[in-house]
Amino acid sequence: MQLLLILLVVAGGMGLSVEAGLLGPLGSDVGDLWATFSIFGVGAALTFLLMLFFSPRNSPSYFTQPAWTLLGGILGPVYVVILTVAVPSIGIAMTMIGILAGQVSKSLVIDHFGLFGTAHRKIDSKRIIALIFIIAALFLMTKG
Amino acid sequence: MNILMIILAVVGGAVLSMQAAIGGKLGSHVGVFRSAFLTFSVGALVTALLIFFFESKHAVTLLDVPKWQLLGALCGVPYIVIMVVAVQRIGAAVATVAVIFGQLAMSMLIDHFGWLGNEAIHFSMTRLGAVICLGIALFFIYSSSKAKTISTEKVSQTSARS
Repeated sequence: MQLLLILLVVAGGMGLSVEAGLLGPLGSDVGDLWATFSIFGVGAALTFLLMLFFSPRNSPSYFTQPAWTLLGGILGPVYVVILTVAVPSIGIAMTMIGILAGQVSKSLVIDHFGLFGTAHRKIDSKRIIALIFIIAALFLMTKG
Repeated sequence: MNILMIILAVVGGAVLSMQAAIGGKLGSHVGVFRSAFLTFSVGALVTALLIFFFESKHAVTLLDVPKWQLLGALCGVPYIVIMVVAVQRIGAAVATVAVIFGQLAMSMLIDHFGWLGNEAIHFSMTRLGAVICLGIALFFIYSSSKAKTISTEKVSQTSARS
């Protein structure tokens, strides 16, 4: 059961790369914003159905939440447009490693300053080591 | 040009983790699917606005391309569902490493074979070196996430006691 779930999560991660692999060529054909729109349009339809059938019945309204917690939809397209633009020129692997570097460094900053309502934590030396190896990998990738 | 693209990808990762942090915060109040729906629907609105004012004319439209090229969201949305189901059963540390592993392995495969209409970038010795570096990085990410999970468990246990 555990192993099956782990394989499922690995497949989920593979899906993210396939998504990027589809976006790059699509963006070159129909335009980067249209390609991004295809992700969010289809995604909105799918998640609407998921919400309709599987969401807890009495969850609170969006309008009772602080406005900044609703900003995810503004940031999402920024990320997808960047994927669409970057993949055709540097390839999927390098794009993904770059994104990983950004994620790890950003999570260090979020933890350090306790941003977005997360608990304030001391900076994590293991994450810094991880970041150094990710940057080394990026550097190797540029060598071909 | 390539350097610019790499910097852009790093910025994209930072934006993604901000989005994940904000979405997670919202999800803890209104539920994961409601939070995901808000992200996708607002994202579609913002992109539509940008298209109206900034997109130049292209000979090919979304309706002309082969349908399989439109399946991107069908890869992204299951990821959300899988994480919801899996994280509480296998733990965040294992899930994080498994996702990144899947992502990197698949990206190397797509690059090497030039799948999905991408230009082929063949696997090389330097790419192998990069994979080794990433393996080491994953080990440290795993042990750091594991330490984090334990410390949050401790905090919740102590707060439950008091």
